[in-house]
Amino acid sequence: MKRQLPLIIVIGLGFLFVIHVFVPHPISQDFFDWFQKWIKVISPFALSLGIMSLTTVHYHKIKKKAPNWPYSYVTLIGLYVTALTGFIWGIEEGTPFMWIFRNLNVPMGATMFSLLAFYIASAAYKAFRARNLEATVLLIAAVIVMLGRVSIGNAISHWIPDATIWLLNVPNLAAQRGIGLGVGLGMVATSLKIILGIERSYLGGGD
Amino acid sequence: MNFFERMQNLDRRYIFILVAVAVILPLIFPLGLPTYPTPPVESMFQHIDAASNRKDKAILMSIAHDPSTMPELYPMEISMLRHCFERNIKVFLIGFFPQAAAIAEMALKEVLEDYPDKSAGVDYCNFGFKPSAIMIPIILGMGDDISKAIETDAQGNKLENLPIMQNIKNYDNIQMVVEFSGGSFGGVWITYARAKFGVDVGCGITAVIAAQTYPYLQTGQLKGSLGGLKGAAEYEKLVDIFAKPQKTFSRKKLTDKQYLKQFPLSKTTYKYKKARIGMDAQAVVHIMIIVFIILGNIGYFVMKGQKK
Repeated sequence: MKRQLPLIIVIGLGFLFVIHVFVPHPISQDFFDWFQKWIKVISPFALSLGIMSLTTVHYHKIKKKAPNWPYSYVTLIGLYVTALTGFIWGIEEGTPFMWIFRNLNVPMGATMFSLLAFYIASAAYKAFRARNLEATVLLIAAVIVMLGRVSIGNAISHWIPDATIWLLNVPNLAAQRGIGLGVGLGMVATSLKIILGIERSYLGGGD
Repeated sequence: MNFFERMQNLDRRYIFILVAVAVILPLIFPLGLPTYPTPPVESMFQHIDAASNRKDKAILMSIAHDPSTMPELYPMEISMLRHCFERNIKVFLIGFFPQAAAIAEMALKEVLEDYPDKSAGVDYCNFGFKPSAIMIPIILGMGDDISKAIETDAQGNKLENLPIMQNIKNYDNIQMVVEFSGGSFGGVWITYARAKFGVDVGCGITAVIAAQTYPYLQTGQLKGSLGGLKGAAEYEKLVDIFAKPQKTFSRKKLTDKQYLKQFPLSKTTYKYKKARIGMDAQAVVHIMIIVFIILGNIGYFVMKGQKK
């Protein structure tokens, strides 16, 4: 029953939603509206589950003095202090919540992402080599696009931004579309396998 | 160990220092490099501009990113809000990430400093944070009735009671949905809102995923796209030279040096030219990376020749 019940729910609802898309009947629409309310009710429980899980994991890390356990304090304090400031003083501009956001969250987030520039530069120097034909084509394309995406490229020659636009609009577009079609067909096949009960790995555990 | 061997084994910390210098110096001493708008940005600008002074049309800005991608996306949001306020375009903001709601608040506060006559619930409305788990029901629900799907704004006011909602019912009244994201390009809006209700979709995205938008731009599923800091810089410029002086977009004016002379970068407030200043740093770093690639390859081939 533990495995059959979720399977029945997934198969039943899977078919109902497919029918809803193709049958614009009021009953179908009412069912969909009713279900939307259900999702709104269920989603806060998922959030609570996430908070409980995060707290439990880090509580055990601290208790067992697992590697890097002091960082668990930072995680838990960050989570609860931010949440409490929001609950007590609200989340509008000028509140402690927004102070934390502006002065901690924003600079830390931007710092993490900006590290990318340093690693790309280092990788370009150490690993971007014209070892074979494919790598050489990639290297030339990368140099043209890098130049074409900044105004210096235009200052050198208008051919550089033109070539950049061609690279993005023709070879890039063709490859992206191919990948997109492959992903789309794969999603349809996987969805059908789930709805028909063939694919059951999402239920977890062994058979 | 000869020179090329040393260069091949160069400690990467030296590269990090050079990159840091290449980023910091142009930010402190801007080079004032020119900005050339590209078709996806022009298209986005024109599409939004078409809603100027219309009471029955609004722009929906969906903020779907966290602070890590703010250096690229925040200048886009600031410019778009400025564009809407300059042209009397109704604007809605929604955030499906908890941090996105705070980013929307920040952006509104920053732009409203220059537009004190604009008021919440009349000229703009921040829908606030809506959990991503209910993103699809909200997107689909807005196709029937925005007030019912969203229910309340960030301050808890009933949407149906707000003056901004007069003449605004569903996607028929949304000129464009623009998603700002670091990892997607409005795919959910294209799949659910555009396919079912025909609303026009645009996106503001980080440079790393900009290449993914081209198939959608070609088919018209995306009406416009701002790719990375470059996209933000181009949009900033269009707002500066067309929206701010209340002029209609014209490609001819974009190349007219006499016309462009009227809008020197020095006259623009810092917050409205952040991306253009950032592009100076990006240009220098791009050149530096190209030099690194060339040097690295010279060393590689010289060493290969010596081994033979």
